[in-house]
Amino acid sequence: MIDTFKTIQSRLDATPHLLRIGRLFSETVLIDVDGAEYYLSFEKGRLVTIAPGPSRKTPWRFALRTDAEALRRFWQPRPEPGFHDIFGLVKIGRGRIDGDILSLVKNLRFFKEVLGLARETREVEA
Amino acid sequence: MTFELITGRYLAVTVEGVPRRIYVEEAGQGRPVLCLHTAGADTRQWRHLMNDPEITASNRLIAFDMPWHGKSLPPEGFEAQEYLLTTEAYVETVLAVIEGLGLDRPVLAGCSMGGRIALQLAALHPEKFSGFIAIEASDFQPAWYDIDWFHRPDAHGGEMGASLVSANISPHAPDAERWNTLWMFMQSGPGVFRGDLSFYTQDDSLIARLPDIDTSQTPVHILVGAYDLTCTPEDAARTARAIPGATLTVMDELGHFPMSEHPEGFRPFFVEALGKMPDTASKAA
Repeated sequence: MIDTFKTIQSRLDATPHLLRIGRLFSETVLIDVDGAEYYLSFEKGRLVTIAPGPSRKTPWRFALRTDAEALRRFWQPRPEPGFHDIFGLVKIGRGRIDGDILSLVKNLRFFKEVLGLARETREVEA
Repeated sequence: MTFELITGRYLAVTVEGVPRRIYVEEAGQGRPVLCLHTAGADTRQWRHLMNDPEITASNRLIAFDMPWHGKSLPPEGFEAQEYLLTTEAYVETVLAVIEGLGLDRPVLAGCSMGGRIALQLAALHPEKFSGFIAIEASDFQPAWYDIDWFHRPDAHGGEMGASLVSANISPHAPDAERWNTLWMFMQSGPGVFRGDLSFYTQDDSLIARLPDIDTSQTPVHILVGAYDLTCTPEDAARTARAIPGATLTVMDELGHFPMSEHPEGFRPFFVEALGKMPDTASKAA
């Protein structure tokens, strides 16, 4: 999972429109995969730190909690219904969003496209 | 110079005792088909079908921007009003446009909140229509989001609304049309999407009316995309079951805005739906 987040990190650095959209986004996001925590810290739109948990000392703005199989299906080139969006994961009971949801919604395009940057990897691997 | 088939004009009607200037587009000839856009959007969602010569050869497709949407202005004094769409105002608007245009029993095709009001009209004013194509339509959908997110002084409601509804677009949709679809939401006026969602997520009056719809007089065909998170195939199926004689088609590769997000994928389903509607072209001529 760390490698996938590193892929996202490097692709984000090479995606000018996302850096522009995320220029006001400096927050830490918790991704919880089957109970394993990953803290993604963004600074002005760049993903600067990927820190594995658990950690009780790292503040985070919002969290996406899901499972590895759901993410694997989310990152397919053409995901099945429900696995095609983070809100789809929530709708089908494979994901939960906690914390400051308004912060997520204000930065929703940025966050969804950043998370989707791993999708291309799967396409190449497929 | 090559113009598209679509022409646009403005129609003056009165709704709730207030004058409205309604933008109306149309293309084609024959059986009238009145097309209703979704929440937070406008007639542009229908432009692909309206530019389809095979469909418009025997169907007169008409679409209009609801007041506050697209090129239809909000009513005078809007600057001090809170826009909250109601079933009553929506019904009155659709009927006023039909009367203003002199349409004789059109087919009514509506998507999302347009599909919801199509079913309301099937229950309340069936004599005004020949049939109903209800797309991404259901009896009732409570919000899985906070509608107040989309009208705030500290953020752009249109951009947030577009980002939210992108969850309802199929990954099979071509990128260009995905973004054209989202652009309409980005352009939506302040508070308009919220006011539409107020109608869509809070008025459940349709549930009790569904059994009253007489599909022997006015057929009802419901279309739903498998990628629609807002009106899921289960929601549409529940709705179809409550309407005696209604038919339902699930579109496996489409989402909540099928005519807009994936026009080629939607076309055969719309043609099939038109085939289920009475041919009133001769009467409407």
